[in-house]
Amino acid sequence: MTIDARIPVYQLNDIVCGYEGKPVLRVESLSLYDDGPVAFVGHNGSGKSTLLNLLAFLLPPISGELMFQGATAGESGRGSLDATMLLQDPYLLRRSVFENVAYGLKARGMKDVRSRVVEALEMVGLSPDFARRLWYQLSGGEARRVALASRLALRTKVLLLDEPTANVDEESAQLIAQVILDARRMWGALPLIATHDLQWLDSVTQRRIFMRRGRIERQPA
Amino acid sequence: MNFLSEGFLQGFDLLFSGDEEVWSAVFETLKLSSLSMLVSLLIGIPAGFALGHFSFPGRRAVRLLVDTLLSIPTVVVGLFVYAFISNRGPLGSFELLFTTSGMAIGQTILALPIIMALTASAVENTDRRLRFTLLTLGARGRRLLLSTLWEARHQILLAAVTAYGRVTAEVGVSMMLGGNIKWHTRTITTAITLETGKGNFATGIALGVLLLSLSFVLNWSVSFLRGRSAA
Ligand SMILES: Nc1ncnc2c1ncn2[C@@H]1O[C@H](COP(=O)(O)OP(=O)(O)O)[C@@H](O)[C@H]1O
Ligand SMILES: [Mg+2]
Repeated sequence: MTIDARIPVYQLNDIVCGYEGKPVLRVESLSLYDDGPVAFVGHNGSGKSTLLNLLAFLLPPISGELMFQGATAGESGRGSLDATMLLQDPYLLRRSVFENVAYGLKARGMKDVRSRVVEALEMVGLSPDFARRLWYQLSGGEARRVALASRLALRTKVLLLDEPTANVDEESAQLIAQVILDARRMWGALPLIATHDLQWLDSVTQRRIFMRRGRIERQPA
Repeated sequence: MNFLSEGFLQGFDLLFSGDEEVWSAVFETLKLSSLSMLVSLLIGIPAGFALGHFSFPGRRAVRLLVDTLLSIPTVVVGLFVYAFISNRGPLGSFELLFTTSGMAIGQTILALPIIMALTASAVENTDRRLRFTLLTLGARGRRLLLSTLWEARHQILLAAVTAYGRVTAEVGVSMMLGGNIKWHTRTITTAITLETGKGNFATGIALGVLLLSLSFVLNWSVSFLRGRSAA
């Protein structure tokens, strides 16, 4: 056994997670290093979304310790702006496409956001003209892309994607695979993906963590 | 039926010839409703937001009270406020009775529950994915609250329009607290009441047409907003 001297991006110890005090997820030990995309694979209800919500700091653990970049998460909210997540069922703010993609940048105090917005839209295959559209002027597929772009624009260390290929056509699925690799290449993001689409996953990563009934069943050594 | 059509003709004549008495009532209505709406919105939006967004002890009781006040008869509000601001009332020394401010207090009591109740349900009914969306994008603290409110803006505007409709249409409060004083506290609705009582249909019709147009514009914007917020 080799001991990895690097600090993991995430370190989970004896985590119990759930809703209204009812546990649905238990993780004894999990370390996620900055080695490229990792996928969480499992059936519906196996706890993938719950785990991603935990990693996105949306759901505090019932018990256990969640470390992020070497510090306990939750203490002074450290690190939480370094992670963002595309929800399983993305929601667009009732604003223009531009305002949606610019929102997180403005929340980070950035003033000149235009180039980052255009760049993020291009990454998901949308022309800059889309920026002017309003939230109700988009097809379902376009709305998903805008939601993804609004996360990409932030260039966060951690990019969590919950079932990014659910209800999208083959072409969009391939585009999303490309975007995940681009995020890794362009700003060294650590993409963490929940999916049950193993075939699609082949074009993204072989690092897979299998989940079953709220537990991690198998993870790469 | 002849007096009706004659009334209409004379009514339009009064409106477009700029009859001072008619327009004085119109301006009083606008002044009064602006005042009561301003206060209602300033208090009602934050209070309604808090009611819909946070859970605190007594929230259900407050909600019930606000919902009850939604349908309170205007004359009851008039009576209640009258008791407070008349000479012998606890606020008598402010001499608010038969003034625009006094009427505005009454109208605020009519409008505030509408703003609060509709804002609260607008905030409660925002998409449950909204909070997670804002958090994943990095919104915290004040930005989180204001962005939540902003998502509900169409329904809140709808609340404002609904409340505006109620205050411009009511008679009870204006009559009891304003006293229908010519050039002073006479509003469109109290003027209609008086003129009709005197058998003076033309002025009544002129004012009625104005009120109807106002209500038409309001309802038109409501249906526009409905369509928008459903999108
Ligand atoms: N908001 C919630 N409230 C209560 N239980 C939930 C909630 N979300 C998920 N669960 C439960 O937690 C378990 C794991 O669900 P989830 O993490 O969504 O799985 P997956 O994303 O793998 O489909 C399921 O049994 C599900 O019913
Ligand atoms: Mg899920």
